[in-house]
This record gives sequence, C-alpha cells and structure tokens, in this order.
Amino acid sequence: MNSFAIAQPKSMSEASRIVSDKKYSLVVIKAGGIDLIDHLKEGLIAPDVVVNVRRLQSDKELIKVSEGEIRIDAVATLADIVSSAALRAACPALVQSVENAASPAVRNVASAAGNLLQRPRCWYYRNEQFNCLKKGGATCFAVEGENRYHAIFGDGPCHIVHPSNLAPAFFVTDATVHMVGAEHPSLPIRYLYHMPDKGVRSESNLPPGAVITHITCKPVKASGFYAIKEKQSFDWPVAAAAVALEMDGNTITKATVCAGAVAPIPWELRNVAGALRGVDVSNDAALTKACAAAAVGAKPMTDNAYKAKLLPVAVKRAVLLAAGKKLEVES
Amino acid sequence: MIKTDVAPTLAGGPTLIPTDMPTTNRPMNMGQSMDDNTSRLDGVAKITGAAKYSSDMLLPNAVFARFVRCPFGAANLETVDDSAARKVPGVIDIEITPKACTYNGQPVGHVVAESPVAVNRALKALKLNWKKDSVKTSIRDTKQVGLLKGNAPDADVTIRAVYSTPVQTHSSLETHGGVVDHKGDKATVYASTQGTFSVRDGFGDALSLKGSDFEVVCEYVGGGFGSKLGGPGKELMLAAKLSQKLKRPAYVMCNRAEEHLDTGNRPSSVTSVWLSLKKDGSVVGGEVMTYGGVGVANGGGGCNVPSGRYTFANVNKSHEDVSFNAGGPRAFRAPGRPQGAFAEELMLDEAAAELGMDPLALKRKLAIDDVYREMLDQGAKLIGWGERKANGSQTSVMRTGFGVGIAGWGSASPGGNAEVVIHPDGSVESRTGTQDIGTGQRTTMGICTADAIGIPLSMVTVQIGRSSLPPGPGSGGSVTSPTTAPTMMNAATQARTKLFEVLARQGGDNAADFTVKDGVVLKRGEKFLSWKDACAKLPADGVMGSASTGDGGKGNSQGVQFVKVVVDCETGIIYPKHVIAIQSCGRVICRKTAESQIIGGVIQGLSYGMFENRILDRNVGAMVNPNLEWYKILGPCEMPHIEPVLWAHGQTGVKALGEPPTIPTAGALACAVFNAIGAPVRHLPLTPDKVLSALEGARS
Ligand SMILES: Cc1cc2nc3c(=O)[nH]c(=O)nc-3n(C[C@H](O)[C@H](O)[C@H](O)COP(=O)(O)OP(=O)(O)OC[C@H]3O[C@@H](n4cnc5c(N)ncnc54)[C@H](O)[C@@H]3O)c2cc1C
Repeated sequence: MNSFAIAQPKSMSEASRIVSDKKYSLVVIKAGGIDLIDHLKEGLIAPDVVVNVRRLQSDKELIKVSEGEIRIDAVATLADIVSSAALRAACPALVQSVENAASPAVRNVASAAGNLLQRPRCWYYRNEQFNCLKKGGATCFAVEGENRYHAIFGDGPCHIVHPSNLAPAFFVTDATVHMVGAEHPSLPIRYLYHMPDKGVRSESNLPPGAVITHITCKPVKASGFYAIKEKQSFDWPVAAAAVALEMDGNTITKATVCAGAVAPIPWELRNVAGALRGVDVSNDAALTKACAAAAVGAKPMTDNAYKAKLLPVAVKRAVLLAAGKKLEVES
Repeated sequence: MIKTDVAPTLAGGPTLIPTDMPTTNRPMNMGQSMDDNTSRLDGVAKITGAAKYSSDMLLPNAVFARFVRCPFGAANLETVDDSAARKVPGVIDIEITPKACTYNGQPVGHVVAESPVAVNRALKALKLNWKKDSVKTSIRDTKQVGLLKGNAPDADVTIRAVYSTPVQTHSSLETHGGVVDHKGDKATVYASTQGTFSVRDGFGDALSLKGSDFEVVCEYVGGGFGSKLGGPGKELMLAAKLSQKLKRPAYVMCNRAEEHLDTGNRPSSVTSVWLSLKKDGSVVGGEVMTYGGVGVANGGGGCNVPSGRYTFANVNKSHEDVSFNAGGPRAFRAPGRPQGAFAEELMLDEAAAELGMDPLALKRKLAIDDVYREMLDQGAKLIGWGERKANGSQTSVMRTGFGVGIAGWGSASPGGNAEVVIHPDGSVESRTGTQDIGTGQRTTMGICTADAIGIPLSMVTVQIGRSSLPPGPGSGGSVTSPTTAPTMMNAATQARTKLFEVLARQGGDNAADFTVKDGVVLKRGEKFLSWKDACAKLPADGVMGSASTGDGGKGNSQGVQFVKVVVDCETGIIYPKHVIAIQSCGRVICRKTAESQIIGGVIQGLSYGMFENRILDRNVGAMVNPNLEWYKILGPCEMPHIEPVLWAHGQTGVKALGEPPTIPTAGALACAVFNAIGAPVRHLPLTPDKVLSALEGARS
C-alpha cells in the first residue's frame, strides 16, 4: 500500500471539489471503505488522496419512506436498510437484496452508494499477477481460464459479473441516483452502468468528480429479491434476481425483472417480464415456464453453464416473494 | 438438542454420554477426575490477545522479510532489475537468483527491510522478467483415468466408477513462519510449529549454535493440521540467516496467498474402482487404482482406499503419484484418509443401491469388528436413520438425505519426557516442551498433573512449548496426548511420592501412609495437613518427578459419523443439518477439548466436502483463489448441529483423537447427498453445478 492523505470534508459538495482538484493525480471517495481498502491492499489503485465521506449524510434521515418515493442516503449502511421496518413494508426487494449479503460485520459499514459503485470481484481483476483487460492488459483470462463465477450474458471483451445486490433491486424500482459535482444532478439507475465494450476499465457512468448524495426509488410493495449462493455465509451470489410486479389478484399484469451476478451490469430480463404477464403465480407450471425464459440468450463460458440453470430459479423465487408468498425452501 | 434414549451406564454395556445434557453437567471418566470438563487454561488469554503467538512477536529493532516468488506455474526468471526496489525507503537487502520455476509460489529470493510495508513496496517495485512455459495443473492433465475393466466371476453385482477429490490447503489461521532473535552466542526462535524439538534439531548449522545455546519457543500456535510438522521450514531458515547476518531479530511470516501456495496441502486424488459383491453384500473381488496429485513433489499422494476398515476379499490396489505444476503436499490431518474414505463410503452406498440394500446394513456387515457395529447401531438411533427414505424416492424440492461413514486411526507413540515440580509454596509446575497447536495440550497436561496428585487444577502451572523443557513428540499422527498424558501422570505421581517421602522422613512415617485427596494430605486415611502446609515442609527447591514415555493407549481409535442433509434440488445447494460423530479415544482427559477436536474434525470434513478447492488457472498455473474469499471454507450459516459422542466403552489409556474425526465426514456427506437426490456426485467439492448435473443424470 502506498502512502496517501486522508481528506475529511464537511459536505458532499466539498468532497466533490476535492475529487475534481487537478493538483492530485488520483483522488478517491471512501464511504465504508470495504471495497476501497481491498483495492488499496491489492495494489490495484494508488491514490494520493482518500476522501472520507462515511459520515456525510445529505439529510437528517438516512432512510425516508413516503407515499410516492423512497429516499436512501448515499451513506446509509446495508444494516440501516435491513433494519428499516418501513422500507421492508414499502419495498421488500431492497431489504431482501442485502439482508443476507456479505456478513453482519460488512453490512454494518458498507454503504448504499459504495455498494452500487463497488468494483467486480473477478479473481483475475483482483489478483495483481494477472494484467487483465480491466487493468489495461490485453487479455480476459477468464475466456480460456477459470470462469465458473463469470458472466453468462454479454459479448465481452471482459466477462465480469456486476457484484452489487442493491443494483438490480434499485433497477426494478426505477431508482435514480442523485449527485453533486456533475452537470446533471441525477441519473436513472438504468443508465448508471455500461457494458465492457463501452469502456472496459470502468463499470459506471458516474461523471468524473461526481459524488452520490442519495438514491430515490418507487416504493413497490410487490417486489422481491432472491440470491443463490454456494455458501450461505460470507459469499457472493452465483445468480440473483430482483422483481417488481403489478398484480390483479394472483395474476401478474406487469413485471420488471433484473438479474444480478450473471452479466457485467445489472441485467434486465425483458423477455421474462413479458412471459410473466398474465401468469397466475399460484400456477407453478405456468410460472416455471415463464421464468425459464431467463436462460434464453445466455452464452455460458466453459465452466458456468450451471448459472443459466440457476437464474430461472432465482427469478421464480423472487416472483413468489414479490407476490407475498412464503418460500418453502431452506435459506 | 435432541433427546437420546441412551442412558449413561458405568458398568457393562456401551457407555454413551447423553448428548442432551448440558456440557458442564456431563459425567466423564467415571468420576476419576476433578477437572475433566474444564475450559481451556489459556482460553481467556487467547481471546483477549494476551496470548502471544509467534506472529505477534514484533521485537524491537526487528527486520522483516518475505520471499520473492514465481507468479506462474512454470516460468523462467530471465532477468532481474531491482534498482527501483532497492531505492524504496527502508529496504535493507534484496537477493534474487534467476532460475527456472515449476510452481506458483516457488521462492527465487527475498527482500528484507525495516518494516512489512517497505518489504511489500519493494516487492512491487521489482522488475522481474519471467518467460512463461506451458503448464500441467491436475492429475487429469497427465493421466487419462477411465473406468476399470473386470469383475469377479461369482459376482451378483459389480459397480464401476471414478471418484476424485481436490487439493485442500491447510488454511491455518496463523500462517507459517516465525522470528529468530540471534544474539551472537545465544538465540531465541519463535516458531509457529507442530514440533518444538524438530525445529530445534532441524536448524543444523544454520544458527551456528549448539541446540543447547538457543531456545525454540512456541507457546501458542494458530493451527497447523500437519503442515507445520518437521524442521524450521524455509521461512525460519531465512529468518535464521538474516538475524545472524544483520544481528537483529528477523521476522518472516507468510501472508495468506503464500500460505495457500507454498506451505503444503492435502493432495488431490482420483480413484478408479470396480467392486464385485454377492447378493448378501459380501465383497468377492475388485480392483482399486488410485492417483495422488502431488504437484512438484515426487510422492506423498497416498489415497487410503481400501481403508482396511471394511472386509473386502480379493481387492487389488495400485497407486501412482502424479506430478504437475503446483505446490506439493504436506501431512494433512489423517493424510490420505479423507480422500480414500470419500471414495470408499460412496462406492459402498452405490453398491448398496445396486443390491437394493440399506447402506447402513451393508456397512454394518462389512465393518471389520463389533465396535464399529455397536457404534453404527447407536449412531443410527441418534441421527434417526429410521426416517431415511430410499435413494431418489423423494420428489419435493427440498430433499432429505442420510449418510454414514467410519474411521480408524492409531500410530505408535514416539516417546517423550515430562517433569513435575512441587514447590514449597504449594504451587505445582508441569513441564513438557511439546506444543499446543490449538488442541488443548496445555489444559490436558494440567489436568493430568492435578489428577495424578489429587489437587485442584487451579494449583497447577503448565509450562509447554519451549525446547528448554523436557522433550516430547511433534504433534502429528495424533501421538501428542497418547505420549505426553501418561508420561505427565507418571512424573506427577513420582513428584508426589517424593513429597510423601519428605513428610515420612520428618515424622518417622512410611511414604505409603500418605495420600492426597481434593487438595488435602491424608495420613492413613485421616486428614494430616492442608496441601500448602504439607508443601511448606519441602526444601527450598521443592521436589521434582520426571518420567519418560508413559504407557499410551493400545490399538486404534475408532469412530463413525452420520450426516443428515437437506438438498435444494432446484439450486443444488446442500444444507447440512445434523451430524452425529461417535468417537473413541481411550481415556478422555478433558471432555471439552476432546469434544472440540471432534467438532473441529467434522467442520473441516464438511468444508472439504462442500467447498474447499485450490483452483489453478489452467493456462498459466497460478492459483486464482489464494485468499479466503474464493477459497471457500464452511461458514457459520452452513454449520449443522454437530453432536460429538465420546465412546467410553472398553476404553483405557489415552489414544488418538486429533485425526480420526475428520476422516469419514466428507464421505458420509456425499452418501447423504446421494440418498437425497438419487444420484451420486463422485467429485468433491459437492458444489451446486455438480449436484444439478447429477440430478439431471438421474432424471434422464
Ligand atoms: C466477503 C464479502 C462478501 C460480500 N458479499 C456481497 C454481496 O453478496 N452482495 C453485495 O451487493 N455486496 C457484497 N459485498 C460488498 C459490499 O457490500 C460492498 O463492498 C460495500 O457495499 C461497499 O460499500 P462501502 O461503503 O464500503 O464502499 P467503499 O469501499 O467505500 O466504496 C466503493 C466504491 O464506491 C465509491 N463510492 C462510495 N461512496 C460514494 C459516493 N457517495 N459517491 C461516489 N462514489 C462513491 C468509492 O470511491 C469506491 O470506488 C461483499 C463484501 C465482502 C467483503
């Protein structure tokens, strides 16, 4: 790890001014620091200034749930999200997306904005021995190497999966990211990320110098999230899905579906949304069939075809959760 | 807590301690011992950080060093430019020898500096020009292992299959290495080791000192599981060289990645087998071909199948070790056994399924003796084997499965020494140089001493983990307690006799008139003096008893384990629910530490069965998961209810306990999964992709 200075601004605007200051070669924002410190330790970045925004709330309430809108502060922790009863009632997918993520200790410090902007966990990217595409090299080592946890969607050239659980949940609830230090103060989450062919060195479209202050989204009572993890403690999903529904009784009239951990960005599954329309959630066969569409278009690599089998299951379970059903499975 | 219908019986019949009784109330050792259920003597020190491990020895004025290692599976280090690295502030020296490397993690030199940070910066600043070579990364890269042909002519059923297990790294919490503090004519070595004396003897001339002029200290060791047996290892050898040269303490500890790459592992295995059975379950012939994946080593890949725990007639065995570009194995908790037990137990379950037999009945029939049969019967009751459904008969999403496996272990005691000193102030010191690698050696030594003398444990101070203390064995092969416990008891008894002799001389009595009970000295059965007052009569330096090689337990420790799982058949995820681990180990010295050994063995076995896997990039041979994020180990959410059951029936002496409890777990787990889903998963770890493929195979 190299030496760096810590800046402790008083506001997000001040943070953004430091980030944009040209006199430094690299300035980075640190919220909880879970991902940032990993990057420093592995030598993946060498900033000269680290700007600590961990305590910079942009509103006195970290989580605000009102009639038409949910507002989550950038520095609200995953634990804050999990423990908000109002949020759980108004928009279960958000809470379900992080209540089993990582570990209690990580959730106590990891922030909402940091979760959205954390970098991929790809073991080639994270290992400094591999000079992969994402680090400016010429190869994606996963293509001919070890790709069991890599993407099943997208055409490369880099095959990471996006690691954030919150991102798909925010996606289906039409979230908008709000920031300071950018020309446009807000960005809908569906435009927050880009595929590797649009720039392999980064995943997000956040303008340089911008600092997220908060995230807003629609409260969707009929929303759900389900992640499939090899290991239930301290592990990353191998497939995950967030679902928002409009229902008429037991019948789905409209669905939004977004998958996590299967593509370089939160992966919207429009075909599944279409297939779910008109499905009675109590009709298991019909529901299973509609969810099977989640695997359509998947292009598994040598070792990750199983993810295409898991994704429809994650979608189906998220739909059932969104429809208020209790899952009869272990967790 | 489950209820058991097994009552503790002290005489006759199998003695099981009911598992629904709170630990602190459970009887043990037939009341022989006062403190046989104590918590670890060093438990508080360990959790508060007061206990200093070798890796905590940050001595004043120390230098720090790390190896420069090959980042690929095969590469030639052609040129070295260390000019930038030498300019990193704090760097003292860099030594690198260009050479051809054959595994990821192979050292080519080292960097030594004033601080760990400076070492790491210098390592990053090195410009090493590696020319990569092609690699082989697994047994299968070298060997085509197919199904074996053949069957016994009189067979009713012949099964044929190939099983495999991955490389498991020891993943000890404290990594390898230590600190050498060389003071010219004396030195102290703080070693993270399983063998105080093998470290001492292994230095040879490296310290330029006689063994009596330096001391090896390892009072606390953060795990080893076999990987810290033997001599000082390359880390301490480097520390020795640097400390001598620089005349400063030298600190060399591996980081987590180095620990995975270059401190040994449980080798991978591939087992191809055919086995012929009669309708009644008797095995009438077979052939087993095993391969051990030993990385760059030339041997050490044994895979223990057939294990000898089941009666098989006419089964031929052959074995071959296969080398490739990876770090080599070291002893790992029951070397060769878990991989062999996985193949053997699952193979028997597959045979039972072919025969239409309950696998428990088959294993009961084939087990070599009645101890196993009794254990199997008791374990079946405790796990609820009666609820087991026929293989593959369930159709729900969540399916329950039961599996069972058996274990055996015992090695000859290598011998050792112990001393017990009774001081005039009444305090008692027990001394052995052997190490406590986390098993509870310190605690059991205290109990042995207190017990043999007849005083409370609180009066005993235990000195362990120093080469200046009486020598004892390395902690490998589960020999530490079988060697040191009886030896320590003998030493304590001798010290007590010497005390009695002093008392007898002073009062004109016979030493045989005295005894000690509950900390009170009795003469001819009547209270004579309090312990303290009696000891006050001793000369200033007290009395010492010393003993060598006590009479350890005879024969193998045996065990059976039952595993109950629930499998999510849509996701392929396994949820271990319940494990019954019945284990004999001779006399139990301390119930809690004994049970912890069993629980730990089960956890390590489940972790091996479900997750652990050293994954090498197939093209460059570098490990892609040299951490504890992607090298997955069992976590709290996976933890089933584990019930250790100490088997007291017919047990005397102190026998092996460290290794046996990890032998059968992964095999029993695989059998349970087979039972739940109706198809065997023959390759560890049992990850969702493999479970789903097996399910698809079962459907088609
Ligand atoms: C073992 C483990 C398992 C995990 N499992 C999961 C999981 O299953 N699902 C999941 O979603 N996550 C998981 N996490 C990741 C964890 O949730 C994220 O690392 C965490 O949310 C990051 O938050 P942070 O506040 O610590 O971010 P930081 O590390 O502080 O920041 C992360 C990135 O975001 C940027 N950033 C942070 N705040 C702002 C802001 N306000 N404006 C602009 N940029 C900002 C930083 O510059 C940095 O690039 C896991 C982590 C670990 C260690």
